[in-house]
Amino acid sequence: MSKKVWALICAGALVTGAAGCSSSDSGDSGDKVTLSYGIWDKNQKPAMEKIAQEFGRTHPGITVKVELTPGSKDYWTKLQTSAAGGSAPDVFWMNGPRVGLWASQGALLPLSDRIAKDGFDTSKFPASLNELYTLEGKQYGVPKDYDTVGLFYNKDLFDKAGVKYPDASWTWEDVRDAAKKLTDPEKGVYGIAAPAWSQEVYYNTIYQAGGHVISPDGRKSGFDDPATVEGLRFWVDIINKDKSSPTIQQLEDTDPIQMFQNGKVAMFSDGSYDAIAYNQTEGLNVDVAPLPSGPKGKGVIIHGLANVVYAKSEHPDEAWEFVKFLGGEQANRIQAETGTVIPAYDGLQDTWVKSMPKLRLQSFIDQVPDAVPYPRSMNTAVWSTKETELIAQAFAGTKDLDATAKELAAFMNDALAKE
Amino acid sequence: MERAAVEGAAARPATRTRLRDREWFWGYLMIAPLTLGLGVFYLWPVLQSVYYSFTEWTLFGDSSWVGLDNYATLLRDPEVGKALWNTFLVAAFGLLVIPVSIAVAALLNTRGLRLVSFYRTLYFLPVVTMPAAVALIWRWLYNGEYGLINYLLSLVGVTGRSWISDPSTALYAVMVVFVWTYLGYFTVIFMAGLQGIPGHLYEAAAIDGAGRFRQFFRITLPLLTPTVFFSGVLMVMYGLQMFDLLYLMFGKNSPAWADNKTIVLLFYNKAFEEGAKGYGAAIAVVLMAITLAITAVQFRLQRRWVHYA
Amino acid sequence: MRNGRLWPVHLVLAVGAAAMVVPFFWEVLTSLKTFTESTRVPPTWIPSFEWSNFTRVLDSTPFVQQFGNTVVMTVVRTLAQLLFCSLAAYAFARLRFPGRNVIFVLLLSVLMVPDQLFLIPQYQIIKGLDLLNTLPGLFLPGMFSAFGTFMLRQFFMGLPDEIEEAARLDGANPLRIFWSVMLPLARPGLLAFGVLTVLWSWKDLMWPLVVNTDPEKMTLSAGLAALHGEHVTEYPVLMAGSLMATLPIIVVFVVLQRQLIQGIAFTGSK
Repeated sequence: MSKKVWALICAGALVTGAAGCSSSDSGDSGDKVTLSYGIWDKNQKPAMEKIAQEFGRTHPGITVKVELTPGSKDYWTKLQTSAAGGSAPDVFWMNGPRVGLWASQGALLPLSDRIAKDGFDTSKFPASLNELYTLEGKQYGVPKDYDTVGLFYNKDLFDKAGVKYPDASWTWEDVRDAAKKLTDPEKGVYGIAAPAWSQEVYYNTIYQAGGHVISPDGRKSGFDDPATVEGLRFWVDIINKDKSSPTIQQLEDTDPIQMFQNGKVAMFSDGSYDAIAYNQTEGLNVDVAPLPSGPKGKGVIIHGLANVVYAKSEHPDEAWEFVKFLGGEQANRIQAETGTVIPAYDGLQDTWVKSMPKLRLQSFIDQVPDAVPYPRSMNTAVWSTKETELIAQAFAGTKDLDATAKELAAFMNDALAKE
Repeated sequence: MERAAVEGAAARPATRTRLRDREWFWGYLMIAPLTLGLGVFYLWPVLQSVYYSFTEWTLFGDSSWVGLDNYATLLRDPEVGKALWNTFLVAAFGLLVIPVSIAVAALLNTRGLRLVSFYRTLYFLPVVTMPAAVALIWRWLYNGEYGLINYLLSLVGVTGRSWISDPSTALYAVMVVFVWTYLGYFTVIFMAGLQGIPGHLYEAAAIDGAGRFRQFFRITLPLLTPTVFFSGVLMVMYGLQMFDLLYLMFGKNSPAWADNKTIVLLFYNKAFEEGAKGYGAAIAVVLMAITLAITAVQFRLQRRWVHYA
Repeated sequence: MRNGRLWPVHLVLAVGAAAMVVPFFWEVLTSLKTFTESTRVPPTWIPSFEWSNFTRVLDSTPFVQQFGNTVVMTVVRTLAQLLFCSLAAYAFARLRFPGRNVIFVLLLSVLMVPDQLFLIPQYQIIKGLDLLNTLPGLFLPGMFSAFGTFMLRQFFMGLPDEIEEAARLDGANPLRIFWSVMLPLARPGLLAFGVLTVLWSWKDLMWPLVVNTDPEKMTLSAGLAALHGEHVTEYPVLMAGSLMATLPIIVVFVVLQRQLIQGIAFTGSK
């Protein structure tokens, strides 16, 4: 009888073997090292894989496996869990809001010494990006890219409604007027989509209204500033008064990116990193303009990612090699030529702008002088999670905007005091 | 003969101790793998989590003792109260599955009914479908613009809404799915319960002139109470611990999140999204205490209404 | 005449059955639509059979790998649970040893604890064993079950004493009795419990989601969650993915229906 059990166990092992052997066995055999590279944007996966391949070609003995966790919320949740267990990917993407916490808690490998030793040239990157990833004199990340936000629009829908295309001269009123004209409830078409997204949507209008999300020293919330509330009200009015955007309930049911891609939405304020997706959408006649001016003029969020090395990586040297490669000319050129993102590497921005002739990508670069860095503090996640929840309710119209802003400011100040 | 009997009698106590010793040995041996496994992977983690609830964590695994701080925060946290209320709501609503599945089971038990196993298979389909798929399917059915439900409602002149993203309906929408997924499961349990009721009781009642409804309330229901009790305990436990459906059905930035979190979601939110593992552990410990308390109350109250034949 | 009496019963049951089946019908229909078709109101009833939805699932997830992982996890968990739980269940039901009830109740207390409480410590154990992103990491904690022990103990308690007594008098040790006498008798119970375990393993989400971050080491359930993250609200692809992930277990269910129903009926009757 025990023979039977054994047969079953062996069968299990066989299946295990079959399932495990078809690709990349863990690099323990021989001297081969396998690095994992954690990313969250599916649009960037092809480019990242191409870079990893190039790296493997020039660095025999090191294989890089790109691990995609789609959606940045899931990405951070998963990364935190695996880091707490001591097993995050060797190299992964880092952003401004999170770097403070990750660096200060020792989860990231300081790179300054290696940068100096290898004579790695960080002056190729914008100084502000280097600074973003430097804490107490130590640099933790090598800038990967940067992004601003633009107003994407569907030319066909504009033509049909006989509305002039947006341009750099547009104001808030222009956007609202155009959105109203473009809205056609019969056909289920909306002028604009206003999801409760911070970086792409309401942070920009907050600064265009002269408000702020957080004080420059990162100690005080800006949500009790009336100008900040004005920046939020712009969207609340578009949704609930003009009704020229789907409600945010609808936008949760059907993703605004997909609505825009399918011609259900005429305008959408989105990051430069999504340009590639719109460019590739069949049948979408799309272009992009700079964001409009608000009561206090121009304003757009600028942010940039960096590649970092996990402090407990078992292959720190190889990981650093890869990060160096990612920060080099070749890798940045791949990012630019594929249109994936605006590379952080100096002199390649034009290559990116030319990568997708259909779109006037220069709109993103032109806005850089008006740009404001992404609001952050030491432990951004604590208040930004709450922020998303509360702003979503205000946008949904289930909660009064002014009261919500006050509640948020109080919560945020409380959280900031604890940092 | 007699000698043998005497010898046997004398030998018996010795054999019995030996047997008992052997039984101890075998007993411990046989429970050893399971006890070890459950001990290492379940019991020890519970103790660890209780310990964690008195600590504060950095994101990456360093912790420091903070005494009762987490519990103090918990008492003052308005989110905890809301989440508890939502959790009770889910658990209470989930109990609806019991009357519905009794009704379905009773219908399926109708004498002379054909197609029983066909119906049973259909009712059982949701039970075998993984929650991840169930969540996606229903998220799509509930879609405010293009969902099937709103289309069907429009046929009868009702304008629907974004059921799953609307803060006022989101939790109920999930609860409906919760009941939907378990209906087949409990129907099968109640069918077995019904079949366990001896037929002669009905015959006797019929002779006494009791109608079908009278029979149902006088005989069927009382004899079904042990199954009802068991199902209630199970369903409350599932309800209190529900996670998958809510987690996958609400969109990532949904306005429904704020007011519709259950305690397990709050735990996940704190422990994994915000990295406050100590506080998360405190929430989980409270949930455990509540589960234990409710179950204990259920067992205490069963004496009043559960009839064991 | 009989049919005349039963038609209201059929009507009610059919309405209920429709509520059970229509979502699946909608799932299949949507999986064959283009995105534009899926966003049409009133709905398109005859889809343009967009099979690319299925190939796109294969593009975004290593489906075959994940299927293999899920099968391995399910098989190992089920066999292990059957073995460990039945061993212990027999001992708890039939053998007398000091601390038996205390240990049993202690183990059962696991049932009352929310799964989330185990999550972080279990993760650390698997990490300590260097088993993250491996198949053993996936199935290890799930090899032991308090519920299974409880259920099988009930089953063993319901079996008649006589046969066992006879074997005992023949001098067989408890393990021998368990293996050659009780286990064959317990076959219906084991089978029922086995089918239930297969079902639960297949559906498990939280643990696979946390323990294996490498898509090639994920299960179908976690893969589906990831697919949701990637295709957000692109329902034709999502429905295709859900269909692919669910179909195998539905086939298993249809084949083993009787055992599964018995298993569930059994858990309820005691």
